Amino acid sequence: MTDADLDTSYTALCRALGEVGEQQAPLLLAMLSLSLLGRLDSAAQALSLIERARERCLQEPLHER
Amino acid sequence: MDQTTEEHVPVLIAGGGPVGLTLAALLSRQGIRSQVIEADEGYCTGSRAICISRRSQEILGWVGADAPLVAKGLGWTAGRSHFRQTEVLRFEMPSEPTQRFAPMVNIQQFYVEEYAHRAIDEAGADGTTVRWGERVQRVQARERDVLVDIESPRGHRRVRADWLLACDGGRSTVREQLGLQFEGTQYEGRYVIVDIRQKTQRPVERLAWFDPPSNPGSTILMHRQPDDVWRIDYQIRDDEDPAEAVKPENVLPRVRSHLEMIGETEPWEPLWISIYNAKCLTLPSYRHGRVFFAGDAAHLVPIFGVRGLNSGLDDAGNLAWKLARVVRGASPEALLDSYSVERVHATRENIAYGAKSTEFMAPPDFAFRLMREAALRLALDDETVRPLINPRQSSAIQYLGSPLNAGESGEWASAQAGPGAPAPEALLHDAHGHAFHLSSRFGRGFVALVFNGPPEGGLPRDVGAIPIHPAADPHGQAWRRYGLPVEAAPALVLVRPDGYVMGRWRGLDTAPLRAALQSSGVTA
Repeated sequence: MTDADLDTSYTALCRALGEVGEQQAPLLLAMLSLSLLGRLDSAAQALSLIERARERCLQEPLHER
Repeated sequence: MDQTTEEHVPVLIAGGGPVGLTLAALLSRQGIRSQVIEADEGYCTGSRAICISRRSQEILGWVGADAPLVAKGLGWTAGRSHFRQTEVLRFEMPSEPTQRFAPMVNIQQFYVEEYAHRAIDEAGADGTTVRWGERVQRVQARERDVLVDIESPRGHRRVRADWLLACDGGRSTVREQLGLQFEGTQYEGRYVIVDIRQKTQRPVERLAWFDPPSNPGSTILMHRQPDDVWRIDYQIRDDEDPAEAVKPENVLPRVRSHLEMIGETEPWEPLWISIYNAKCLTLPSYRHGRVFFAGDAAHLVPIFGVRGLNSGLDDAGNLAWKLARVVRGASPEALLDSYSVERVHATRENIAYGAKSTEFMAPPDFAFRLMREAALRLALDDETVRPLINPRQSSAIQYLGSPLNAGESGEWASAQAGPGAPAPEALLHDAHGHAFHLSSRFGRGFVALVFNGPPEGGLPRDVGAIPIHPAADPHGQAWRRYGLPVEAAPALVLVRPDGYVMGRWRGLDTAPLRAALQSSGVTA
């Protein structure tokens, strides 16, 4: 995937999230994650990506709104 | 009012900002006299547009304003972005040891205005004048001329201009007088802009912080300027009142907190405070009969990516040679339509890039905010997402689909210099072995790059020839960048006065080049 491809996909995902709304956004992201996980070669790959995301969420939490 | 004496000028330029003054300087170099009127009594205050791109430096070079600009300005090539305290992106803009100009120069806008103005004075034997403290009051656009009523502390006067060039900014009176409206969108997110004076040892770079501990939740940009000035831009919360946000008592603590965080400890004082929100607005056409729009009067693009003034200078560079040819009678009037076609296209490209930058720098809704939070966290150790943080700095736009693009014939090794592309730079040697940059030969008339042999059939009188062969191209930049398959291949490349490729042909027969000038409407 080129930088431009990533950029296009990022924007499309933002727009899709905006369209389904804040309440359904986690559902959309969960569906998308699952379908991306299914396209990986192995569980090892998936587990390391999940672990990294989990760690970053805990280390760098969002601010309280 | 009807008794008012009517002065005739060939070209009236409304607005003596950087675009209007550069346009006047460009026209005067082309032998066209203009009169500039500017509502203010002098150059602007505050730093305003501070990042001058390489392309803009080239355009200012056409009138000799590049030397003072480069001498005073701070050139830079790189930038860093941080999430909280950690660096998550380091980017470099294209640069090379042989380059003529840095990819970007930081300088206060009033200096650019001064240098462009001086370029007029130095070339000013033709009678080009700049009149300060005069503003457009009323515009009557007619078929063969434009009547402009002008107001100043000295009274009222009327000018009859053959052509009116509206460079009178985002709140253009000319645009309003013609009943024209911007189209597009505005973003809500606001940024406060602060100049402070403070000495620093930091290198000249674009610095960005997302969610820094000094200002949690905000985004901060910093640029160095000449005269020990920092430009600091920071985003305010959506619920903050803009009028309150620019009060020193609200601005200075945030600035102080950030300077402390990054370890800038020298004494400092504020110089200028302003506020900004991103706009993606354009007129659908920049030509209305004998009235042309350029710069902010024609389009407003987001600040992120520095496409505002830089695109305005490109407007000036595009319009000057076309108008000069038409006024001189060298080209039919229809050539002027291509100004609008090309520059509206450029604005749409600039808006597309600018909107992307804005969606990252000032996320318009929860979705863009959430995705940015994700990108910044992943960027801590995943380089695949880092390009999303790149600010997409201004670069010259290809004029795809322009009516001036002539064909190309034969096989080319690269598309980089196809018709409608900005003509690539090359460091060459002249017949005496002196080095020169190819771009320094642009900006006046048409030039033909004649690769490897004398042109066959002669070039038109007003097309200059630049012979290029392996000995003249010691770095191999020209033949590679212009797409020759081998360095000794004979070829012709026609470059427009504004440094864009118009057509290219393998071989040295000049007939297709001459035909291209005719069929595109450049020559009658």
